[in-house]
Amino acid sequence: MTLSVASERPSTFEQAQPSGLLTLDFSDPERAATQAQRFAREYPLNGVLGVDDDTVVVAAAIAERLGLRGNTVMAALRARDKYEQRVGLERAGVRVPRFAVHPVSVAPAQLGPTIRYPAVLKPLRLAASRGVIRANGPEEFVAAWERIRAILSGPDIVPCGEAGQRILVEDFVPGPEVAVDGLLRRGLLQVLAIFDKPDPLEGPFFEETIYVTPSRLPREVQNHVERAVQAATRALGLAEGAVHVELRCNRAGVWLIELAARPIGGRCSSALRFELQGKREEGRGKGKATLEEILIRHAMGETLPAFRREAQGSGVMMIPVPAKGVLREVRGLEEARAVPLVSGVEITAHKGDRLVPWPEGARYPGFIFARGAEPEAVEAALRAAHARLDFILE
Amino acid sequence: MASAEIRITAEPVDNTRCKFVVSQPVYAGIRRFQSPDEAKGSPLAEAIFGIAGADITEVVVSSNIVTVSKQGPAPWTAVGRSIGAAIRNSIGAAADAVAPKPARQDAPDGEDLDDDVLYERVAQLFESRVNPMVARHGGSVELIDVQDRVVMLRMGGGCQGCGMADVTLRQGIEAMLHEHLPGVAGIVDVTDHSAGSNPYFSAAKK
Repeated sequence: MTLSVASERPSTFEQAQPSGLLTLDFSDPERAATQAQRFAREYPLNGVLGVDDDTVVVAAAIAERLGLRGNTVMAALRARDKYEQRVGLERAGVRVPRFAVHPVSVAPAQLGPTIRYPAVLKPLRLAASRGVIRANGPEEFVAAWERIRAILSGPDIVPCGEAGQRILVEDFVPGPEVAVDGLLRRGLLQVLAIFDKPDPLEGPFFEETIYVTPSRLPREVQNHVERAVQAATRALGLAEGAVHVELRCNRAGVWLIELAARPIGGRCSSALRFELQGKREEGRGKGKATLEEILIRHAMGETLPAFRREAQGSGVMMIPVPAKGVLREVRGLEEARAVPLVSGVEITAHKGDRLVPWPEGARYPGFIFARGAEPEAVEAALRAAHARLDFILE
Repeated sequence: MASAEIRITAEPVDNTRCKFVVSQPVYAGIRRFQSPDEAKGSPLAEAIFGIAGADITEVVVSSNIVTVSKQGPAPWTAVGRSIGAAIRNSIGAAADAVAPKPARQDAPDGEDLDDDVLYERVAQLFESRVNPMVARHGGSVELIDVQDRVVMLRMGGGCQGCGMADVTLRQGIEAMLHEHLPGVAGIVDVTDHSAGSNPYFSAAKK
Protein backbone atom coordinates (compact mmCIF):
# COMPACT_ATOMS: atom_id res chain seq x y z
CA MET A 1 0.00 0.00 0.00
CA THR A 2 1.31 3.44 -0.87
CA LEU A 3 0.35 6.35 1.30
CA SER A 4 -0.05 9.91 0.05
CA VAL A 5 -0.31 12.57 2.75
CA ALA A 6 -2.08 15.85 2.09
CA SER A 7 -1.62 19.00 4.12
CA GLU A 8 -2.72 22.59 3.72
CA ARG A 9 0.83 23.87 3.54
CA PRO A 10 3.43 22.34 1.24
CA SER A 11 6.04 19.91 2.49
CA THR A 12 9.61 20.70 1.50
CA PHE A 13 9.76 17.20 -0.01
CA GLU A 14 6.70 17.59 -2.22
CA GLN A 15 8.65 18.08 -5.44
CA ALA A 16 11.07 15.27 -4.65
CA GLN A 17 8.32 12.83 -3.63
CA PRO A 18 5.33 13.90 -5.73
CA SER A 19 3.41 10.65 -5.23
CA GLY A 20 3.65 10.75 -1.45
CA LEU A 21 2.88 14.36 -0.65
CA LEU A 22 0.38 16.90 -1.91
CA THR A 23 -1.00 20.25 -0.85
CA LEU A 24 -4.76 20.80 -0.68
CA ASP A 25 -6.83 23.84 0.19
CA PHE A 26 -8.54 22.57 3.33
CA SER A 27 -10.56 25.78 3.62
CA ASP A 28 -12.41 24.97 0.38
CA PRO A 29 -13.41 21.28 0.16
CA GLU A 30 -14.59 21.49 -3.46
CA ARG A 31 -11.33 23.12 -4.54
CA ALA A 32 -9.44 20.47 -2.58
CA ALA A 33 -11.43 17.80 -4.43
CA THR A 34 -10.38 19.32 -7.75
CA GLN A 35 -6.76 19.36 -6.64
CA ALA A 36 -7.03 15.73 -5.51
CA GLN A 37 -8.68 14.77 -8.80
CA ARG A 38 -5.74 16.26 -10.69
CA PHE A 39 -3.32 14.36 -8.42
CA ALA A 40 -5.24 11.12 -8.91
CA ARG A 41 -4.84 11.30 -12.69
CA GLU A 42 -1.14 10.66 -12.20
CA TYR A 43 -1.21 8.75 -8.92
CA PRO A 44 -4.52 6.86 -8.67
CA LEU A 45 -6.20 6.93 -5.27
CA ASN A 46 -8.10 3.98 -3.80
CA GLY A 47 -9.24 5.59 -0.58
CA VAL A 48 -9.28 8.83 1.33
CA LEU A 49 -9.38 9.55 5.06
CA GLY A 50 -9.77 12.77 7.01
CA VAL A 51 -8.26 12.93 10.45
CA ASP A 52 -9.88 15.94 12.09
CA ASP A 53 -13.09 17.95 12.01
CA ASP A 54 -12.13 19.98 8.95
CA THR A 55 -10.41 17.32 6.88
CA VAL A 56 -13.29 14.86 7.19
CA VAL A 57 -15.31 17.31 5.09
CA VAL A 58 -12.44 17.58 2.60
CA ALA A 59 -12.19 13.77 2.51
CA ALA A 60 -15.94 13.51 1.86
CA ALA A 61 -15.65 15.95 -1.04
CA ILE A 62 -12.76 13.97 -2.52
CA ALA A 63 -14.57 10.65 -2.02
CA GLU A 64 -17.67 12.00 -3.75
CA ARG A 65 -15.64 13.38 -6.66
CA LEU A 66 -13.56 10.25 -7.19
CA GLY A 67 -16.26 7.71 -6.39
CA LEU A 68 -14.43 6.38 -3.34
CA ARG A 69 -15.88 4.97 -0.13
CA GLY A 70 -16.88 7.77 2.21
CA ASN A 71 -19.60 10.00 3.58
CA THR A 72 -21.48 12.58 1.55
CA VAL A 73 -20.28 16.16 1.92
CA MET A 74 -23.72 17.08 3.22
CA ALA A 75 -23.50 14.53 6.04
CA ALA A 76 -19.95 15.51 6.93
CA LEU A 77 -20.91 19.20 7.06
CA ARG A 78 -23.97 18.45 9.19
CA ALA A 79 -21.85 16.51 11.65
CA ARG A 80 -19.20 19.23 11.88
CA ASP A 81 -21.54 22.05 12.86
CA LYS A 82 -22.83 21.63 16.42
CA TYR A 83 -26.08 23.45 15.66
CA GLU A 84 -26.87 21.67 12.39
CA GLN A 85 -26.01 18.42 14.10
CA ARG A 86 -28.49 19.02 16.91
CA VAL A 87 -31.22 20.08 14.51
CA GLY A 88 -30.75 16.82 12.59
CA LEU A 89 -30.64 14.70 15.71
CA GLU A 90 -33.68 16.30 17.34
CA ARG A 91 -35.68 15.93 14.14
CA ALA A 92 -34.89 12.21 14.11
CA GLY A 93 -35.90 11.77 17.73
CA VAL A 94 -32.40 11.34 19.15
CA ARG A 95 -32.29 12.64 22.73
CA VAL A 96 -30.21 15.85 22.79
CA PRO A 97 -30.15 18.67 25.36
CA ARG A 98 -32.61 21.51 24.69
CA PHE A 99 -30.63 23.98 22.57
CA ALA A 100 -30.70 27.33 20.80
CA VAL A 101 -28.16 29.32 18.86
CA HIS A 102 -27.53 33.06 19.11
CA PRO A 103 -25.34 35.54 17.26
CA VAL A 104 -22.28 36.46 19.29
CA SER A 105 -23.24 40.12 18.86
CA VAL A 106 -26.33 39.69 21.10
CA ALA A 107 -26.23 41.47 24.47
CA PRO A 108 -25.77 38.60 26.96
CA ALA A 109 -27.30 40.62 29.82
CA GLN A 110 -30.62 40.64 27.92
CA LEU A 111 -30.38 37.02 26.89
CA GLY A 112 -29.24 35.66 30.28
CA PRO A 113 -32.58 35.94 32.12
CA THR A 114 -34.36 33.98 29.36
CA ILE A 115 -32.11 30.92 29.68
CA ARG A 116 -32.89 27.74 31.65
CA TYR A 117 -30.08 26.93 34.12
CA PRO A 118 -27.71 25.24 34.49
CA ALA A 119 -26.78 25.84 30.87
CA VAL A 120 -23.73 25.15 28.72
CA LEU A 121 -22.42 27.67 26.21
CA LYS A 122 -20.47 26.35 23.21
CA PRO A 123 -18.82 27.79 20.13
CA LEU A 124 -20.13 25.99 17.06
CA ARG A 125 -16.91 24.74 15.52
CA LEU A 126 -14.07 24.55 18.05
CA ALA A 127 -12.52 21.22 19.00
CA ALA A 128 -11.47 19.63 22.29
CA SER A 129 -14.15 21.46 24.33
CA ARG A 130 -12.38 24.76 23.73
CA GLY A 131 -14.65 27.60 24.78
CA VAL A 132 -17.26 25.30 26.35
CA ILE A 133 -18.46 26.85 29.63
CA ARG A 134 -21.19 26.01 32.12
CA ALA A 135 -23.29 28.83 33.57
CA ASN A 136 -25.51 28.38 36.63
CA GLY A 137 -27.26 31.73 36.43
CA PRO A 138 -27.50 35.00 34.48
CA GLU A 139 -24.31 36.48 35.95
CA GLU A 140 -22.24 33.45 35.06
CA PHE A 141 -23.95 33.43 31.67
CA VAL A 142 -22.77 36.95 30.90
CA ALA A 143 -19.22 36.15 32.06
CA ALA A 144 -19.14 32.96 29.98
CA TRP A 145 -20.53 34.76 26.93
CA GLU A 146 -17.86 37.46 27.10
CA ARG A 147 -15.15 34.86 27.52
CA ILE A 148 -16.33 32.95 24.44
CA ARG A 149 -16.68 36.22 22.51
CA ALA A 150 -13.00 36.91 23.25
CA ILE A 151 -12.01 33.43 22.10
CA LEU A 152 -14.02 33.80 18.89
CA SER A 153 -12.33 37.11 18.10
CA GLY A 154 -8.94 35.35 17.99
CA PRO A 155 -7.05 35.17 14.67
CA ASP A 156 -7.36 31.37 14.47
CA ILE A 157 -11.16 31.55 14.35
CA VAL A 158 -11.38 33.28 10.97
CA PRO A 159 -11.47 30.01 8.97
CA CYS A 160 -14.65 29.05 10.83
CA GLY A 161 -16.48 31.86 9.00
CA GLU A 162 -20.09 32.37 10.03
CA ALA A 163 -19.95 29.44 12.44
CA GLY A 164 -17.41 31.42 14.42
CA GLN A 165 -19.94 34.20 14.95
CA ARG A 166 -22.59 32.22 16.81
CA ILE A 167 -22.84 30.62 20.23
CA LEU A 168 -24.84 27.53 21.08
CA VAL A 169 -26.64 27.49 24.42
CA GLU A 170 -28.01 24.21 25.70
CA ASP A 171 -29.20 22.58 28.91
CA PHE A 172 -26.54 21.06 31.13
CA VAL A 173 -27.21 17.33 31.30
CA PRO A 174 -26.12 15.70 34.57
CA GLY A 175 -24.80 12.16 34.73
CA PRO A 176 -21.74 10.12 33.87
CA GLU A 177 -20.25 10.68 30.43
CA VAL A 178 -18.92 8.08 28.02
CA ALA A 179 -17.14 8.30 24.70
CA VAL A 180 -17.84 5.84 21.92
CA ASP A 181 -15.58 5.08 19.01
CA GLY A 182 -17.23 3.25 16.18
CA LEU A 183 -16.86 2.23 12.56
CA LEU A 184 -19.66 2.67 10.07
CA ARG A 185 -19.98 0.31 7.13
CA ARG A 186 -22.84 1.02 4.75
CA GLY A 187 -24.51 2.82 7.61
CA LEU A 188 -24.20 -0.04 10.10
CA LEU A 189 -22.35 0.74 13.28
CA GLN A 190 -19.73 -1.47 14.86
CA VAL A 191 -18.81 -0.16 18.29
CA LEU A 192 -15.04 -0.34 18.65
CA ALA A 193 -14.89 0.84 22.25
CA ILE A 194 -16.99 2.49 24.92
CA PHE A 195 -14.76 4.59 27.16
CA ASP A 196 -15.81 5.58 30.66
CA LYS A 197 -14.78 9.05 31.76
CA PRO A 198 -14.38 8.50 35.49
CA ASP A 199 -13.62 12.13 36.34
CA PRO A 200 -16.98 13.92 36.55
CA LEU A 201 -17.31 16.60 33.89
CA GLU A 202 -19.46 19.06 35.82
CA GLY A 203 -17.90 22.29 34.57
CA PRO A 204 -17.46 25.17 34.58
CA PHE A 205 -14.99 23.98 31.91
CA PHE A 206 -14.85 20.61 30.21
CA GLU A 207 -11.23 19.61 29.81
CA GLU A 208 -11.00 15.84 29.30
CA THR A 209 -8.86 13.67 31.57
CA ILE A 210 -9.19 9.90 31.77
CA TYR A 211 -10.71 7.51 29.22
CA VAL A 212 -10.91 3.83 30.24
CA THR A 213 -12.31 0.88 28.35
CA PRO A 214 -14.11 -1.50 28.67
CA SER A 215 -16.91 0.49 30.22
CA ARG A 216 -18.06 -0.42 33.71
CA LEU A 217 -21.60 0.73 32.97
CA PRO A 218 -24.26 -2.03 33.17
CA ARG A 219 -24.57 -3.96 29.90
CA GLU A 220 -28.11 -2.70 29.49
CA VAL A 221 -26.97 0.93 29.62
CA GLN A 222 -24.19 0.16 27.16
CA ASN A 223 -26.80 -1.28 24.80
CA HIS A 224 -28.77 1.97 25.06
CA VAL A 225 -25.58 3.90 24.30
CA GLU A 226 -24.91 1.80 21.20
CA ARG A 227 -28.47 2.26 19.96
CA ALA A 228 -28.25 6.02 20.50
CA VAL A 229 -25.04 6.24 18.45
CA GLN A 230 -26.52 4.17 15.64
CA ALA A 231 -29.65 6.35 15.59
CA ALA A 232 -27.55 9.50 15.57
CA THR A 233 -25.35 8.44 12.66
CA ARG A 234 -28.45 7.50 10.67
CA ALA A 235 -30.07 10.83 11.49
CA LEU A 236 -27.07 12.71 10.14
CA GLY A 237 -26.72 10.52 7.05
CA LEU A 238 -23.28 9.22 8.00
CA ALA A 239 -22.58 5.87 6.38
CA GLU A 240 -18.85 5.12 6.27
CA GLY A 241 -15.78 5.39 8.45
CA ALA A 242 -15.01 6.45 11.99
CA VAL A 243 -17.27 8.18 14.47
CA HIS A 244 -16.35 9.54 17.87
CA VAL A 245 -19.37 10.28 20.05
CA GLU A 246 -19.84 11.65 23.56
CA LEU A 247 -22.95 10.79 25.52
CA ARG A 248 -24.33 11.21 29.02
CA CYS A 249 -26.44 8.69 30.87
CA ASN A 250 -29.02 9.48 33.55
CA ARG A 251 -32.48 8.39 34.66
CA ALA A 252 -34.12 10.02 31.66
CA GLY A 253 -31.96 7.91 29.33
CA VAL A 254 -28.96 8.37 27.08
CA TRP A 255 -28.23 11.88 25.81
CA LEU A 256 -26.10 12.59 22.81
CA ILE A 257 -23.74 15.46 23.67
CA GLU A 258 -21.32 15.55 20.72
CA LEU A 259 -20.71 13.55 17.57
CA ALA A 260 -17.77 13.79 15.19
CA ALA A 261 -17.34 11.88 11.92
CA ARG A 262 -13.70 11.13 12.69
CA PRO A 263 -11.66 8.85 14.92
CA ILE A 264 -10.73 9.66 18.51
CA GLY A 265 -8.31 12.59 18.60
CA GLY A 266 -4.63 12.20 17.83
CA ARG A 267 -2.55 10.11 20.17
CA CYS A 268 -5.50 8.77 22.16
CA SER A 269 -6.00 6.19 19.42
CA SER A 270 -2.94 4.39 20.81
CA ALA A 271 -5.23 3.18 23.59
CA LEU A 272 -7.03 1.00 21.06
CA ARG A 273 -5.70 -2.26 19.65
CA PHE A 274 -7.68 -4.86 17.78
CA GLU A 275 -7.58 -8.57 17.13
CA LEU A 276 -8.57 -9.65 13.64
CA GLN A 277 -9.82 -13.12 12.92
CA GLY A 278 -8.94 -15.34 9.98
CA LYS A 279 -5.86 -17.24 8.86
CA ARG A 280 -4.77 -14.54 6.46
CA GLU A 281 -4.76 -12.07 9.32
CA GLU A 282 -2.71 -14.32 11.59
CA GLY A 283 0.14 -14.12 9.12
CA ARG A 284 -0.28 -10.41 8.78
CA GLY A 285 0.88 -8.62 11.92
CA LYS A 286 -0.10 -11.69 13.98
CA GLY A 287 -3.75 -10.72 13.65
CA LYS A 288 -3.26 -7.46 15.57
CA ALA A 289 -4.19 -4.07 14.19
CA THR A 290 -4.25 -0.45 15.23
CA LEU A 291 -7.26 1.79 14.80
CA GLU A 292 -5.47 3.53 11.94
CA GLU A 293 -4.95 0.23 10.10
CA ILE A 294 -8.62 -0.67 10.47
CA LEU A 295 -9.72 2.73 9.18
CA ILE A 296 -7.30 2.80 6.26
CA ARG A 297 -8.23 -0.70 5.14
CA HIS A 298 -11.91 0.21 5.31
CA ALA A 299 -11.38 3.45 3.39
CA MET A 300 -9.47 1.53 0.70
CA GLY A 301 -12.62 -0.45 0.01
CA GLU A 302 -11.40 -3.64 1.66
CA THR A 303 -13.88 -6.03 3.23
CA LEU A 304 -12.57 -6.32 6.75
CA PRO A 305 -12.59 -9.65 8.56
CA ALA A 306 -14.34 -9.95 11.91
CA PHE A 307 -12.41 -8.06 14.57
CA ARG A 308 -12.78 -6.81 18.11
CA ARG A 309 -10.88 -4.74 20.61
CA GLU A 310 -8.28 -6.67 22.60
CA ALA A 311 -9.63 -8.38 25.72
CA GLN A 312 -7.68 -6.45 28.36
CA GLY A 313 -8.52 -3.05 29.77
CA SER A 314 -6.91 0.03 28.32
CA GLY A 315 -6.89 3.70 29.15
CA VAL A 316 -5.44 7.07 28.38
CA MET A 317 -5.15 10.19 30.45
CA MET A 318 -5.05 13.50 28.64
CA ILE A 319 -2.77 15.27 31.09
CA PRO A 320 -4.53 18.37 32.42
CA VAL A 321 -2.89 21.74 31.93
CA PRO A 322 -1.48 22.38 35.41
CA ALA A 323 -1.60 26.18 35.18
CA LYS A 324 -1.07 29.03 32.76
CA GLY A 325 2.60 29.55 31.99
CA VAL A 326 5.62 28.71 29.89
CA LEU A 327 6.77 25.11 30.19
CA ARG A 328 10.34 24.82 31.39
CA GLU A 329 10.66 21.22 32.51
CA VAL A 330 8.72 18.07 33.26
CA ARG A 331 10.03 16.10 36.22
CA GLY A 332 9.18 12.58 37.31
CA LEU A 333 8.89 11.07 33.82
CA GLU A 334 10.89 7.96 34.62
CA GLU A 335 8.96 7.45 37.86
CA ALA A 336 5.66 7.82 35.99
CA ARG A 337 6.77 5.33 33.31
CA ALA A 338 7.79 2.88 36.02
CA VAL A 339 4.27 2.66 37.48
CA PRO A 340 2.96 -0.89 36.93
CA LEU A 341 0.53 -1.20 33.97
CA VAL A 342 1.65 2.13 32.52
CA SER A 343 2.62 1.50 28.90
CA GLY A 344 3.67 5.00 27.94
CA VAL A 345 3.99 8.61 28.99
CA GLU A 346 4.31 11.10 26.16
CA ILE A 347 4.90 14.76 26.75
CA THR A 348 3.78 16.53 23.60
CA ALA A 349 4.24 20.11 24.81
CA HIS A 350 7.69 21.51 24.13
CA LYS A 351 9.93 23.36 26.50
CA GLY A 352 9.13 27.01 25.96
CA ASP A 353 5.52 26.31 24.96
CA ARG A 354 2.89 28.48 26.58
CA LEU A 355 0.37 26.24 28.34
CA VAL A 356 -3.12 27.65 28.30
CA PRO A 357 -5.82 26.14 30.56
CA TRP A 358 -9.37 25.59 29.36
CA PRO A 359 -11.60 27.18 28.17
CA GLU A 360 -9.17 29.34 26.16
CA GLY A 361 -6.75 26.44 25.68
CA ALA A 362 -7.33 23.26 23.73
CA ARG A 363 -4.02 21.43 23.88
CA TYR A 364 -3.03 18.84 26.45
CA PRO A 365 0.63 18.89 27.48
CA GLY A 366 0.87 15.12 27.17
CA PHE A 367 -0.68 11.69 27.50
CA ILE A 368 -0.37 8.69 29.79
CA PHE A 369 -1.31 5.21 28.58
CA ALA A 370 -1.97 2.08 30.63
CA ARG A 371 -3.12 -1.47 30.00
CA GLY A 372 -4.24 -4.18 32.41
CA ALA A 373 -6.73 -6.92 33.03
CA GLU A 374 -9.26 -4.71 34.83
CA PRO A 375 -10.36 -1.17 34.03
CA GLU A 376 -10.18 -0.22 37.73
CA ALA A 377 -6.49 -1.09 37.82
CA VAL A 378 -5.88 0.80 34.58
CA GLU A 379 -7.54 3.91 35.99
CA ALA A 380 -5.52 3.65 39.20
CA ALA A 381 -2.29 3.31 37.22
CA LEU A 382 -3.08 6.41 35.18
CA ARG A 383 -3.74 8.42 38.33
CA ALA A 384 -0.58 7.10 40.03
CA ALA A 385 1.58 7.99 37.03
CA HIS A 386 0.07 11.45 36.79
CA ALA A 387 0.77 12.05 40.49
CA ARG A 388 4.46 11.48 39.81
CA LEU A 389 4.69 14.17 37.14
CA ASP A 390 5.70 17.68 38.04
CA PHE A 391 5.36 20.41 35.41
CA ILE A 392 7.71 23.33 36.01
CA LEU A 393 6.22 26.49 34.53
CA GLU A 394 7.43 30.05 34.41
CA MET B 1 47.30 22.38 15.15
CA ALA B 2 48.15 22.21 18.85
CA SER B 3 45.83 19.94 20.82
CA ALA B 4 44.78 22.89 23.00
CA GLU B 5 43.30 24.59 19.89
CA ILE B 6 41.11 21.65 19.04
CA ARG B 7 37.54 22.39 20.07
CA ILE B 8 35.22 19.51 20.87
CA THR B 9 31.50 19.82 21.49
CA ALA B 10 29.56 16.98 23.10
CA GLU B 11 26.00 16.44 21.85
CA PRO B 12 24.29 13.64 23.80
CA VAL B 13 21.69 11.75 21.78
CA ASP B 14 20.46 9.80 24.81
CA ASN B 15 22.04 8.20 27.84
CA THR B 16 23.73 5.54 25.73
CA ARG B 17 24.98 7.54 22.77
CA CYS B 18 26.79 10.85 22.39
CA LYS B 19 28.26 12.70 19.42
CA PHE B 20 31.50 14.61 19.81
CA VAL B 21 31.90 17.25 17.11
CA VAL B 22 35.57 18.11 16.58
CA SER B 23 36.70 21.42 15.10
CA GLN B 24 38.90 19.62 12.54
CA PRO B 25 38.58 16.47 10.43
CA VAL B 26 39.51 13.32 12.30
CA TYR B 27 39.23 10.70 9.58
CA ALA B 28 38.45 10.81 5.86
CA GLY B 29 35.55 8.37 5.52
CA ILE B 30 34.05 6.28 8.29
CA ARG B 31 35.44 3.71 10.72
CA ARG B 32 33.46 1.78 13.26
CA PHE B 33 34.94 -0.01 16.27
CA GLN B 34 32.76 -2.36 18.29
CA SER B 35 35.33 -3.79 20.69
CA PRO B 36 38.77 -2.97 22.13
CA ASP B 37 40.21 -5.62 19.79
CA GLU B 38 38.86 -3.85 16.73
CA ALA B 39 40.29 -0.60 18.08
CA LYS B 40 43.85 -1.87 18.13
CA GLY B 41 46.09 0.26 15.92
CA SER B 42 43.76 3.28 16.12
CA PRO B 43 44.92 5.34 19.12
CA LEU B 44 41.74 7.41 19.32
CA ALA B 45 39.44 4.40 19.58
CA GLU B 46 41.88 2.53 21.85
CA ALA B 47 41.93 5.47 24.26
CA ILE B 48 38.14 5.76 24.35
CA PHE B 49 37.64 2.03 24.94
CA GLY B 50 40.24 2.33 27.70
CA ILE B 51 38.31 4.85 29.79
CA ALA B 52 37.72 3.16 33.12
CA GLY B 53 34.10 2.64 34.19
CA ALA B 54 32.56 4.01 31.00
CA ASP B 55 31.76 0.57 29.56
CA ILE B 56 32.14 1.75 25.97
CA THR B 57 30.42 -0.44 23.39
CA GLU B 58 31.07 1.36 20.11
CA VAL B 59 33.08 4.19 18.60
CA VAL B 60 32.20 5.52 15.14
CA VAL B 61 34.51 8.06 13.53
CA SER B 62 33.24 9.91 10.49
CA SER B 63 34.90 13.07 9.21
CA ASN B 64 34.91 15.44 12.21
CA ILE B 65 32.35 13.49 14.26
CA VAL B 66 33.11 10.81 16.84
CA THR B 67 29.99 8.97 18.01
CA VAL B 68 30.45 6.99 21.20
CA SER B 69 28.01 4.43 22.65
CA LYS B 70 28.24 3.13 26.20
CA GLN B 71 26.41 0.79 28.55
CA GLY B 72 27.65 2.26 31.80
CA PRO B 73 25.23 4.28 33.96
CA ALA B 74 27.59 7.28 34.32
CA PRO B 75 26.08 10.37 32.67
CA TRP B 76 27.79 11.96 29.67
CA THR B 77 28.63 14.96 31.81
CA ALA B 78 30.94 12.64 33.80
CA VAL B 79 32.36 10.57 30.92
CA GLY B 80 32.47 13.27 28.26
CA ARG B 81 35.51 15.07 29.60
CA SER B 82 37.64 11.87 29.45
CA ILE B 83 36.43 11.15 25.93
CA GLY B 84 37.21 14.72 24.86
CA ALA B 85 40.73 14.38 26.27
CA ALA B 86 41.20 11.05 24.49
CA ILE B 87 40.15 12.58 21.17
CA ARG B 88 42.29 15.68 21.67
CA ASN B 89 45.40 13.75 22.68
CA SER B 90 45.22 11.26 19.86
CA ILE B 91 44.65 13.94 17.21
CA GLY B 92 47.53 15.97 18.60
CA ALA B 93 49.94 13.00 18.46
CA ALA B 94 52.19 12.36 15.48
CA ALA B 95 50.64 9.01 14.47
CA ASP B 96 47.28 8.74 12.70
CA ALA B 97 44.48 8.90 15.28
CA VAL B 98 42.51 6.37 13.25
CA ALA B 99 44.15 3.69 11.14
CA PRO B 100 42.92 3.19 7.56
CA LYS B 101 40.14 0.71 7.17
CA PRO B 102 41.25 -2.84 6.34
CA ALA B 103 40.40 -4.05 2.83
CA ARG B 104 37.02 -5.74 2.77
CA GLN B 105 35.33 -8.27 0.54
CA ASP B 106 32.14 -7.17 -1.18
CA ALA B 107 28.95 -9.06 -0.52
CA PRO B 108 28.73 -12.07 -2.84
CA ASP B 109 25.57 -10.92 -4.58
CA GLY B 110 27.12 -7.58 -5.37
CA GLU B 111 24.75 -5.75 -3.06
CA ASP B 112 26.69 -3.67 -0.61
CA LEU B 113 25.29 -4.30 2.85
CA ASP B 114 28.13 -2.86 4.92
CA ASP B 115 26.90 -0.37 7.52
CA ASP B 116 29.94 1.84 7.08
CA VAL B 117 29.46 2.16 3.36
CA LEU B 118 25.77 2.85 3.89
CA TYR B 119 26.68 5.46 6.50
CA GLU B 120 28.84 7.32 4.00
CA ARG B 121 26.18 7.21 1.31
CA VAL B 122 23.41 8.26 3.66
CA ALA B 123 25.57 11.10 4.96
CA GLN B 124 26.15 12.21 1.38
CA LEU B 125 22.44 12.04 0.57
CA PHE B 126 21.59 14.03 3.68
CA GLU B 127 24.10 16.69 2.76
CA SER B 128 23.25 16.93 -0.92
CA ARG B 129 19.46 16.39 -0.94
CA VAL B 130 17.76 16.09 2.42
CA ASN B 131 19.21 19.01 4.34
CA PRO B 132 18.78 21.57 1.54
CA MET B 133 15.08 20.61 1.48
CA VAL B 134 14.34 20.76 5.19
CA ALA B 135 16.40 23.96 5.44
CA ARG B 136 13.56 25.73 3.61
CA HIS B 137 11.55 25.34 6.81
CA GLY B 138 14.53 26.10 9.03
CA GLY B 139 15.08 22.42 9.75
CA SER B 140 18.05 20.09 9.75
CA VAL B 141 18.58 16.33 9.78
CA GLU B 142 21.65 14.80 11.30
CA LEU B 143 22.84 11.26 10.71
CA ILE B 144 23.57 9.58 14.03
CA ASP B 145 24.47 6.08 12.92
CA VAL B 146 23.69 3.15 10.65
CA GLN B 147 23.37 -0.20 12.39
CA ASP B 148 22.26 -3.38 10.68
CA ARG B 149 21.27 -1.18 7.74
CA VAL B 150 18.90 0.82 9.94
CA VAL B 151 19.50 4.56 9.77
CA MET B 152 19.35 6.52 13.02
CA LEU B 153 18.83 10.23 12.64
CA ARG B 154 18.06 13.29 14.67
CA MET B 155 16.00 16.26 13.53
CA GLY B 156 16.78 19.82 14.52
CA GLY B 157 15.65 23.41 14.00
CA GLY B 158 12.20 23.73 12.46
CA CYS B 159 11.87 19.93 12.24
CA GLN B 160 12.35 19.31 15.96
CA GLY B 161 8.89 19.11 17.51
CA CYS B 162 7.19 20.00 14.22
CA GLY B 163 3.62 18.72 13.87
CA MET B 164 4.59 17.39 10.43
CA ALA B 165 7.89 15.80 11.50
CA ASP B 166 6.55 12.30 11.07
CA VAL B 167 5.34 13.07 7.56
CA THR B 168 8.73 14.55 6.70
CA LEU B 169 10.37 11.46 8.14
CA ARG B 170 8.21 8.82 6.45
CA GLN B 171 7.00 10.46 3.24
CA GLY B 172 10.13 12.52 2.63
CA ILE B 173 13.34 11.16 4.11
CA GLU B 174 12.47 7.46 4.24
CA ALA B 175 11.00 7.50 0.74
CA MET B 176 14.11 9.24 -0.56
CA LEU B 177 16.42 6.76 1.18
CA HIS B 178 14.55 3.79 -0.27
CA GLU B 179 14.67 5.37 -3.71
CA HIS B 180 18.39 6.16 -3.69
CA LEU B 181 19.74 3.54 -1.29
CA PRO B 182 17.63 0.37 -1.47
CA GLY B 183 20.02 -1.31 0.98
CA VAL B 184 18.58 0.75 3.84
CA ALA B 185 16.35 -1.52 5.95
CA GLY B 186 14.67 1.08 8.11
CA ILE B 187 14.82 4.43 9.76
CA VAL B 188 14.71 5.44 13.43
CA ASP B 189 14.16 8.98 14.63
CA VAL B 190 15.99 9.56 17.94
CA THR B 191 14.96 13.22 18.18
CA ASP B 192 13.68 14.55 21.48
CA HIS B 193 10.78 16.36 19.84
CA SER B 194 9.53 17.70 23.16
CA ALA B 195 12.70 19.79 23.38
CA GLY B 196 12.05 21.51 20.04
CA SER B 197 11.85 25.22 20.71
CA ASN B 198 11.05 26.50 17.23
CA PRO B 199 8.97 23.94 15.30
CA TYR B 200 7.82 24.98 11.83
CA PHE B 201 4.30 23.65 12.36
CA SER B 202 2.92 23.48 15.88
CA ALA B 203 1.96 20.04 17.19
CA ALA B 204 -1.60 18.73 16.93
CA LYS B 205 -4.10 19.69 19.62
CA LYS B 206 -4.41 16.21 21.05
